Amino acid sequence: MLGYIDNIREISKRLLDEGRVDMIIGFRKGTIPLMNEPCFVKNSGELSTLVWDSNCGINLANYLTDRKEKIGIVAKGCDSRNIVTHIIENKIKREKLVIIGIPCKGMVDKRKIAGMFENGIEDITEEDNIIRVKSRGVETSLNKSDLLQENCALCVHRNPVIYDELAAPLIEEQKSVDRYADVLRIEAMTAQEKWEYFKDLISPCIRCYACRNACPLCYCPTCFVDESRPQWCGKSQDEIDTRTFHFLRAYHCAGRCTDCGACERACPVGIKVRQFTSKLNKDCLDMFGWEAGLSPDQRPPLDTYKPADPGDFIK
Amino acid sequence: MSEREPKIVSFLCNWCSYGAADLAGVGRMEYPPNIRVIRIPCTGRMSPKFFLAALMQGADGVWVSG
Amino acid sequence: MEHMGVEPGRLSFSWISSAESTKFVDVVKEVTATVKALGPNINFKKTAKVA
Repeated sequence: MLGYIDNIREISKRLLDEGRVDMIIGFRKGTIPLMNEPCFVKNSGELSTLVWDSNCGINLANYLTDRKEKIGIVAKGCDSRNIVTHIIENKIKREKLVIIGIPCKGMVDKRKIAGMFENGIEDITEEDNIIRVKSRGVETSLNKSDLLQENCALCVHRNPVIYDELAAPLIEEQKSVDRYADVLRIEAMTAQEKWEYFKDLISPCIRCYACRNACPLCYCPTCFVDESRPQWCGKSQDEIDTRTFHFLRAYHCAGRCTDCGACERACPVGIKVRQFTSKLNKDCLDMFGWEAGLSPDQRPPLDTYKPADPGDFIK
Repeated sequence: MSEREPKIVSFLCNWCSYGAADLAGVGRMEYPPNIRVIRIPCTGRMSPKFFLAALMQGADGVWVSG
Repeated sequence: MEHMGVEPGRLSFSWISSAESTKFVDVVKEVTATVKALGPNINFKKTAKVA
């Protein structure tokens, strides 16, 4: 994936020089290892700050909402699907965008790596499938495929679904991954077990709403948790309030979530937030044959009616 | 001790079930007194936050009817 | 809802025309019976008052 950088810079330079875009949204190196941060490049002199490696897990579609400029955006598979969702939901115009597609080989789980090195991480470099971590002067080589984010390991849309430029040739999609093993495991539980499972899952939640802020789908001007008249859900760490927040956030993502994992990545206490959304993703696939953000010409299942829609739950 | 009566918050569509409830009343039909009716202009007005709020505030059940 | 541990039956949906008062009465009875069978809503109810 490292070879992508030159291509990204080259394409970006061309786009900026030709005046096709006002800015490029991409990644630059973060101030600490494992945390690349989004950046907006407006002139070609700053292009050297753009980077690409396995720490670019943030979903850049998040920065497109209601923008009016002409934007060039670096998009991996999940980003491109969220861009499609944005286009469907009229949050950005296709004509305003130049999408630089990145066939993505997965992002590494920063929590997994950080957990392996008690003494902190000074530097991290990578080469093909090897990640080299430097901690207190000692360098360790790790296999990248063991360190992928959970959603990346299960990803079946690594190639961008929509793009104008490509930074590298398309890659082969992963097949025969069992995407919903976790969901099936929970489905097999009884109501009480499920209740306890999710109680444990969200017990560390501090209601910082980082998952919401990182999510490209969450662009409501006022989020329901911030509304106070009526107050749908309390603002404390009360267990029921927390549960309501996670429930409702998941519902808002139904049929829209692309499983980009931004929520899980953003969570400071390491809650597996995707446990909430992946059930809805699975249901959408089973009931409507729908996966979010695959084509800008298709309306999502929750805003169309088809006679074949499942309705058995209605008496 | 008598059996505890559950409270069921019912969201009824103005044009469908609310009409049916009205008709049931006009026809002097008997039904359990456990439902607490909230009229909504259309079932499309329904939102997940409504039933979550209802359950959170102590409803034993929620019934949405269009 | 069910996936996250709320008992099935706490939440029900139905479709009744404004002319179907008999169906309305039937459904009310049915829903009441299901919820009664589940017992009181202990899990989801917020015990502490909203501050």
